[in-house]
Order: sequence, then C-alpha cells, then structure tokens
Amino acid sequence: MYLNETQEQVRDTARSFADEVIRPAAEALDREERFPSEIYEEMAKVGLFGIGVPEELGGPGFDTLTYAVVMEELSRGYASVADQCGLVELISTLLVRHGTPVQQKMLPEVISMRRKVAYCITEAEAGTDVSGIRTTAEKDGEGWVLNGGKLWIHNAPVADTGFVLARTDKEAGNRGMSIFIVDLHANGVDRGPKEHKMGQRASQVGGLNFTDVRLGPDALLGQAGRGFHTMMSVLDKGRVGIAALAVGIAQAGLEAAVDYAGTRKQFGKHISEFQGVQWLLADMAKDIEAARLLVHSAADKIDRGQDATRSCSMAKCFAGDMAVARTADAVQVFGGSGYIRGFEVERLYRDAKITQIYEGTNQIQRMIIARELLKKGART
Amino acid sequence: MKVLVPVKRVIDYNIKVRVKPDGSGPDLTSVKMSMNPFDEIAVEEAVRLKEKGVVSEIVVVSIGMPQAKDTLRTALAMGADRAILIEATTDVNQDIEPLSVAKILVHIVKDENPDLIIAGKQAIDNDANATGQMLAGLLGWGQATFASAIEIADGGALVTREIDGGLQTIRVKLPAVVTADLRLNEPRYVALPNIMKAKKKPLEERPLAALGIDIAPRLKVVRTVEPVGRSAGVRVASVDELLEKLKNEAGVL
Ligand SMILES: Cc1cc2nc3c(=O)[nH]c(=O)nc-3n(C[C@H](O)[C@H](O)[C@H](O)COP(=O)(O)OP(=O)(O)OC[C@H]3O[C@@H](n4cnc5c(N)ncnc54)[C@H](O)[C@@H]3O)c2cc1C
Repeated sequence: MYLNETQEQVRDTARSFADEVIRPAAEALDREERFPSEIYEEMAKVGLFGIGVPEELGGPGFDTLTYAVVMEELSRGYASVADQCGLVELISTLLVRHGTPVQQKMLPEVISMRRKVAYCITEAEAGTDVSGIRTTAEKDGEGWVLNGGKLWIHNAPVADTGFVLARTDKEAGNRGMSIFIVDLHANGVDRGPKEHKMGQRASQVGGLNFTDVRLGPDALLGQAGRGFHTMMSVLDKGRVGIAALAVGIAQAGLEAAVDYAGTRKQFGKHISEFQGVQWLLADMAKDIEAARLLVHSAADKIDRGQDATRSCSMAKCFAGDMAVARTADAVQVFGGSGYIRGFEVERLYRDAKITQIYEGTNQIQRMIIARELLKKGART
Repeated sequence: MKVLVPVKRVIDYNIKVRVKPDGSGPDLTSVKMSMNPFDEIAVEEAVRLKEKGVVSEIVVVSIGMPQAKDTLRTALAMGADRAILIEATTDVNQDIEPLSVAKILVHIVKDENPDLIIAGKQAIDNDANATGQMLAGLLGWGQATFASAIEIADGGALVTREIDGGLQTIRVKLPAVVTADLRLNEPRYVALPNIMKAKKKPLEERPLAALGIDIAPRLKVVRTVEPVGRSAGVRVASVDELLEKLKNEAGVL
C-alpha cells in the first residue's frame, strides 16, 4: 500500500487549497465563530465535497484512502472546514448506499453545498447509548409524524435537510429505529440556539426540536426498523475521517512548532538547539506518522472490503489521543505565546479535544477494540 | 485553433533544494517534483482561451523520464485535451539543454501544426529563459515573451509584455510563440472530478531516440554550490545609529 499518482494529485490540490485559502482564514473564523460559506463555495468548485460519490451520481468517485488524505490536508488548514467535508461525506455515503433513486437526486445539491445537511442522532438522554433515543416517528397514513428533540447537532443552526434517527417501534430495541430525511424549514421544526464551543468554533452546532412534523412516504432512508444498522454501516468510514482530521490538526501543530523553534532565541541560541525541545519535536513527529499510518491502513482495509472495524477504532482512538497530547506539546514549544489567543497552536490544542469525543468517544473505541480482540483473537 | 503547451517537471517550488555532496548538481533523490509554475500559468492561459471559445484543442508535451507523465496528467486535469511524452533516459534539467529541447519541440510542431505555442518564460530549476526564444527562432515564427496578457484577434495575438519600467503591447502574427510571465493569470486548483476524467484522456509516449535529434550537451557544469546562508542582522538603538551604519559600514548612503 502507498499513495498512487492519482492520490498524490488529489493531495496536492487539497494541500495547496488548505495552505492558500483555509489556513490563513482559520484564526478569524475561530474568533468570530463564523460559518465560512465563501470557503465552502470554493471547495465545492474544486470538488472537495463528496469525495467518494461515484461518477454516475455526480461525484469524483475516489476511495476511502483518498478521502482520508483529503481530510488530513483540509484539517491542517482548519479542522472545522474538514469536519464539514466529513459531514457531507457521511451523508452522501448514506445516500449512495441506502438512498432510493429519487432520494439520490439531492446528491448534486449536497456535494455543492447548495443544500446544507445535518446528521441528527444525539439526544439529551442518548449520547453514547444511541438506543436511548426518545424521538419518535409514528405512522400516519402513507407517511409519519415526527416528535422529539436532538442535541449538539453539527450544522443545526444553518442546515436545510436533517437525517434524523427516530424510534418507529418502542418494543423492538435496536431494530425499532429508522432514519428520516427531514426538511428543516418545515412547520414544527425549531432550532435551538447556537452553542459556543471550546474548539472547532466555525462549526455551527445546536439543537433541533420536532413537534408534529409531517413526513411523506419518501422521507424514509433505507429500511424501516433498520435505522441503527444503516447508521452503523457508515461508522467505519466516519471514524477514518475523524482520525485523519486529528492527524491534520497535529501536523499543523508540528509545522508551527518546528518553525518557531528555529526562530525563537533564549540563552543566545535557537531553542531548537536544546535537546529538551528537540525531544518534544521528535515525539510529535513520530506519533503523527504512526497515527497517519494507522489511518491509511484502516482506509485501505475498507477499500479492499476487509473487516475494518478494529482498525478504524484503533485509528480513531490513537489519532484523537495523539492529537490532544501532541498539540499540548506544540503549546509547550511556544512557551507563554502558545497560551495566547491568536497563536495558531493555542487554537489547535482546543480544536483537538473534540476528536476524543465525537464519532464515538475514545472509551467506546477501546471497548470496540477489546470486544473485537476477544471475539476474533489477538492475531490479525 | 490549436495550442501547444510544453510543460516541464521540476523540483517543487516549496522544497528547499540541496546540492549533491560532490557538487555535480542539485540532489533529486526522493524530492517532490511538480509542474514548473510558469508552465502551469501557460496551461491555465490555454484553458481560459478554450473556455472563451477561441481555442479548440490544447496539446501538452513534456520531455524526460516516465515520471513526467504525472506532470502531463496534471495538465490534462487542468483542461488540456491530449498529451505527448517524449521519453528520454535523462531528465530535462541540465542534461537536455534549451537548444535540444527547442529542436525536439520543432519536431512536435511539424507533426501537430499548432497555431500558437504558449510556454513558461523559464523553468525554475535552471532559470535559462531560452527555450521559447530558440523555438521561435528555429521555426522562423514571431515571438512575444514575458506575457502578462494575451488577446487573440484577426489572425494575430495582442500580447502585453512586462518590461523594465512598465508594460509594452505588441502584435504578433500567428503562428507564434508566447512565453508566460507570473502575472498572466492565477492557475486554478485542479478539481477532483477532473483528476479522474484526466485518466481517460490520451497520453502518447514516443522515445526520444526515434526522433534522431542530437541532444549532446554544449555546456559543461563545472560546479554547483548552495547559496551562502544569510548572516544574522543587528539591532540598532536609534535612527541616527542606523544612518551612521548605512553610511560608514554598508556604504550605501
Ligand atoms: C462539537 C460537537 C459536535 C457534535 N456533532 C454531532 C452531530 O452532528 N450529530 C450527532 O448526532 N451528535 C453530535 N455530537 C454529539 C456527540 O456525538 C456526543 O457528545 C457523543 O456521542 C458522546 O455522548 P455524550 O456527550 O452524551 O456523552 P456520554 O455518553 O454521556 O458520555 C460521558 C462519558 O462517559 C463515557 N461512557 C459512556 N458510556 C460508556 C461505557 N459504556 N463505557 C465506558 N465509558 C462510557 C464516555 O466515553 C464519556 O467519557 C456532537 C458533539 C459535539 C460536542
């Protein structure tokens, strides 16, 4: 396995775009907590959304490894921007795999960002334990009526269309949930206020409330009662995406730290000449590389159609933990400056933390790794 | 109208170039290579002319090792229609000199009969700034170098050139050779769907040997050295001290 000519070409495009358009804007976007529509419009023109959508459905049709490479580069620019790419990828993968031809007609709008989407699973009482959701969709003639509330939903304040997990059968546990495509401009949809977050502050996150929202027969995505499984089917790819995003944050931190160490002088020397600082840089570099290789190997397993669950969890867990630890090192290399708003590493440290929490907390990733290990054996 | 754009694979402009320990040239082992930035501008201009409906076909050509195919694919992804690689055992950095490159391109021009050649003004590796001019000379065509604007009208090209102290606009009859300067345009990002589409565009490979062109170097590289590092600056306490230093130490005032 290594990057082929096409994957390198894609990486070059994403890298230049991140360097020239995203990274210079990140500081202001973080400060203003602003949704960068203008950057997303440009990204759509360059084809940086819906990386895996096949050509016949209007996308470029790249594999998971290419997607991971794009996510790392975008995130090196700014994690919030990469997270938007990840969200669009998740929704478009759901539509490609489970959508009806009529539902798939929205793909060009989704990957051009003319239609903003949200993936609505989490509720006040249902975070890690998704089976605890209380949002219900009750059969009503040909369609359904949706009631309930979702929390901490990325894009909720701005989205046009929600992909909402709701209970359709109270008795059936994990087999009693379904995913619905919901027009968020419809009657009965209320948006909660935008949350103010520690990091990734250009991502707009908030709540959604549904009161007797009427859904037509076309609203159901995939099979009724199989919503949990439909959701799980894209989990591996989602984890690879977030793992790559974490690597990108840490890589940006390493670049900043190496530059700074080569210019900052104390005791008449560049601080890069002190072994204490060199070891920080060396540990950052080796852990980033290790995380990147885990991400690429997990992506490669998905692309080969192999069982990738353990690899994807290992990549997500390791990369998230690594990003938090190594951006903390980047702050350390900067000394007091690293703690001051406006220095990139201060933001990177805040941006990194959520990678241990969303897309399945790292406790859950460890649970999955252990479960796979005990079920399938230690040998891979 | 058909446009030919020669493109060269060079060390990526972001890379810090190192010289080989024996001083025989830059170290190219495991260094990232990309399209010469001026050639990117040339391709972009051809693509814009095509989008305006002025140009109907863009052919890109590169000379060098098989890896130059990557460079051609990038040009195809930007919007060129067809690519030709003149495959050589060495790369075009020092080994194939501008005059040889121009002779090879003459060969291609005879086959392809383009109405316009847009080339980069120079390659960022050897900064020779010679191939476009030599090519025009060998073909007996008009040339417009250092272009910052190109307009095609009435069988000719109106080219704005960047010259010392300002801009000069000249008119050349077609066919002609135009070389692109930095401010001609800003090349687009290669769009992801176009990277996939470019894989299906024709890329023809021809061995250099079959052309029967003498590419023996006329120049000998005696030595290559890295530029001396910049020495550290000094802090001055006042404007007076600065003036004093500029007058007496630097001797520039
Ligand atoms: C910025 C941001 C964006 C988000 N975007 C979205 C979105 O777009 N869509 C969406 O649906 N959700 C989204 N979420 C929600 C996110 O997925 C949840 O926060 C996450 O799943 C964790 O759930 P929780 O917060 O309820 O934590 P809890 O589940 O309450 O967990 C609390 C702690 O307990 C631990 N824990 C829980 N169960 C176990 C167990 N069995 N074993 C060991 N430890 C356990 C957890 O690891 C954690 O440390 C977002 C959250 C944030 C902060």
